Amino acid sequence: MTQPISFTFNGSTISCEAGQSVAAALIATDQRTLRTTRFGNEPRSIFCGIGICFDCVVVIDGVANQRACLIEAEDGMKVESAP
Amino acid sequence: MQNPDAIVIGAGIVGAASALSLTNAGLRVLVIDRGAVSSGTTGAGEGNILVSDKDPGPELTLALHSRNLWFEMQEDVGDSFELEAKGGVVVARHDDAPLMKLATEQSQHGVDIEKCSQSRLHELEPYLHPDISSGVFYPQDAQCQPMLAAAHVIRTVVQRGGAFISQAKVTRIIVENGAVAGIETSRGIFKAPIIVNATGTWAGELAELAGSHLPIAPRKGFILVTEPTQKYIFHKVYDSDYVANVASSDADLQTSTVVEGTRSGTILIGASRERIGFDGSMNYEILRTLAQQATSLFPILRDVALLRAYRGFRPYAPDHLPVIGEDAKVKGLWHSAGHEGAGIGLAPGSAALITDAILGRESFMDGAPFSPQRFAAVRA
Amino acid sequence: MIIVIGAGPAGLAAAEAAARNGTEVALLDSASRIGGQYWRHRTTVTGYRSDRGKKLFAKVLAADSITYISEATVWSAQREGELIRVNYLQGGSESSLIAEKVILATGAYDRALAFPGWDQPGSMTPGAAQSLLKGHGVIAGKRVIVAGTGPFLLPVATGLAEAGAEIVGLFDAHNPLRWALSPRALLENISKFAELLYYAKLLRKYLITPRYGRAVTNFNNGRATISRINSRFEITYQNSHTVDVDVVAVGWGFTPDVSLGGILGCSQRVDSDGAVIFTVDTNQESSQPHIWIAGEATGIGGADLSLIEGEIAGLAASGQKIARSLLQKRARKQRFADALKRSYPVRDGWRSWLAPETIICRCEEVTAQEIRDSVSELGAEDSRTSKLFTRAGMGLCQGRMCSRSVSEIVAGITRCAVSDNERIAASNRPTAAPISLGQLADGKNAL
Repeated sequence: MTQPISFTFNGSTISCEAGQSVAAALIATDQRTLRTTRFGNEPRSIFCGIGICFDCVVVIDGVANQRACLIEAEDGMKVESAP
Repeated sequence: MQNPDAIVIGAGIVGAASALSLTNAGLRVLVIDRGAVSSGTTGAGEGNILVSDKDPGPELTLALHSRNLWFEMQEDVGDSFELEAKGGVVVARHDDAPLMKLATEQSQHGVDIEKCSQSRLHELEPYLHPDISSGVFYPQDAQCQPMLAAAHVIRTVVQRGGAFISQAKVTRIIVENGAVAGIETSRGIFKAPIIVNATGTWAGELAELAGSHLPIAPRKGFILVTEPTQKYIFHKVYDSDYVANVASSDADLQTSTVVEGTRSGTILIGASRERIGFDGSMNYEILRTLAQQATSLFPILRDVALLRAYRGFRPYAPDHLPVIGEDAKVKGLWHSAGHEGAGIGLAPGSAALITDAILGRESFMDGAPFSPQRFAAVRA
Repeated sequence: MIIVIGAGPAGLAAAEAAARNGTEVALLDSASRIGGQYWRHRTTVTGYRSDRGKKLFAKVLAADSITYISEATVWSAQREGELIRVNYLQGGSESSLIAEKVILATGAYDRALAFPGWDQPGSMTPGAAQSLLKGHGVIAGKRVIVAGTGPFLLPVATGLAEAGAEIVGLFDAHNPLRWALSPRALLENISKFAELLYYAKLLRKYLITPRYGRAVTNFNNGRATISRINSRFEITYQNSHTVDVDVVAVGWGFTPDVSLGGILGCSQRVDSDGAVIFTVDTNQESSQPHIWIAGEATGIGGADLSLIEGEIAGLAASGQKIARSLLQKRARKQRFADALKRSYPVRDGWRSWLAPETIICRCEEVTAQEIRDSVSELGAEDSRTSKLFTRAGMGLCQGRMCSRSVSEIVAGITRCAVSDNERIAASNRPTAAPISLGQLADGKNAL
């Protein structure tokens, strides 16, 4: 039930438990900044946590604007702050 | 403002440009709107400033001059509305002969064109569907942010001694001896010998208030807005069906493919045209059609999400030409309305025509084809 | 068949009630587990009276006539004659369901107010901290401040403390003495005292002392500023105190997402807390025939009220009798919900916390100054026009986080109160969730 999963975030390997969201896994490993904003380059992280605010968006396996708080981490996923 | 020289009714882009043109010619101008700035069709516009979609004739002449005036307006008002000469690419999905013929004719009337080979097309738009092999590049096509443009232009008018009153609904146009004397509004009475009707889709209603008639009707259109993405679209891109649809009088739904990027990273997708009055309800089937068309032109868009969709009502006259000039019956009542989907592009040119006519001076072109007089004969 | 959208307390109660007489129910929910936000869990529901949730889950999952469709995100819906078609995305493609009857129970999300630094990493809503903990077993940070207003701060703070976080501070802008304004609601809902005692014990256990009349008014690189505020939310002492933390979890009650009901044309009004909600009759039926709405979307009121509203909607939609006692219970819970609103109002003074460069629209990075300029320089008179000029509300979240704030900032300059029409217009949107152009295109003529 708590089998370990690992994925990469901007190249670094992150380990987490199955069933955790990408955002949860990143927060748990102290990766607070998920991306920087497109105009001001300001760092952003999880904000509403339930998929409403879209602040936690990351690129997952090449697809942009994916909400890290909603998407379950999968083994081998490639997560990036920007395309 | 007491006793302005002219009152412009409508604070959309056409009204704003008219007010600026009159102000720069030395008049004290009062702008009135029943809502706020850009609360009509301008607020639903894409910001098209096109020469590519016009057949040679008066509208093309107007469009060419107006396009240049847009850049003069930017010099005058400031770089505050994202004006960009991004250029347009018109592609032919099927038989390209009509597009090429049109392009040749346009080039003989002042339009810069570049007929594109398949490789050139894909150099201009790398994400275009590989099967699309024919098209024309129009470097003069431009884009702006129309709501900001109208707002900054109105601000400039006020800075130069004009005035703007919002939330003022016109209830009566005062006509004395066959000439305008002023207007009655929900916020007071204003006297002036010159009134410019720049109320777009509602221009016919306003004309009635002066006892006159303008056959302007709404043509509904939807626009899809995508999530912000990396840059996939480099120019305004549309298929040659667009030109036929604009000129069509069909009441039924007409759709064509129009795709362009914006400064903020979103992509705008159009275009639909329907004559269903002012019914503003959502129509998911049309959204699906627009999505289908856009993704067939740019397959990469399949993975881009729709963020929102909105609709607007383009004002059009039965012969698909704008209405610019003095009213057939009421002296001093000038119309600048009915620009269909080209209101933004044609705004400063229309403003120049109107200003020249009001001041009785020669203009850059003969405005007769746009004159409201053309309806008077028909009505009788 | 009845389609129930949302599997939180209201939706579960509706589905369970409707299924009692064997009515077919399709229960759609966007998450991978039922429970909504209130009963978010990984393996099992925890927290105050979790048995209530567990019992309801068991009933719903056991009912033969309920088909539970998980990970289904409804993006739009439309009437087709007498029927209603619900379009949803699941597993990357679009599907739809048609039925004669729909019950909407889509819940609510935290209301956030802007303050300098609210956009920085480490700043989040209490709902985010709760979701990380209950849904994913992760504490949002080691040193946490929980602040804002409302009873939700209690389970968030104590839940985090139980999981090992240090609650550096728990600050409510309001004092619980405000409950004295609602004596009847308190007396009618004596059970709530038990709930209060439950949290009081936990606060004592983890040495958390709630402080009232205070707010987090600045957050910068982990340094939180807590200011004393008056009843109008104006800062009364400059530079009250600062403290270094990992997380500030700040929330100001809740607001429902009305997109789907709005798409279906259900009438809306503005509640006493400024939230846009649906009008429903005594059977929870909306202004649209055969569309019932239950839970937070009819007025923020908490889980107790949501459960009862859901049950009433489920019974009404399936043609079953609604016991008078149930209606009376709902009335009591509604009075409690009104008391909640009376006890934890959000006051205008929060606008005075803003610096000119404070981000208001997070998605499009629009600052307070830009919004103010759109009014004073460009003549915007309402949030809609301000949006057109500044792009506030046009980003990915489509104004869900910022539109109330934008309206109120604009109103602060025009000195015209935000009209109900404006609030309603700003809360509605043509799509309830994102859908890709490919999915949209593929659905043409295929559904």
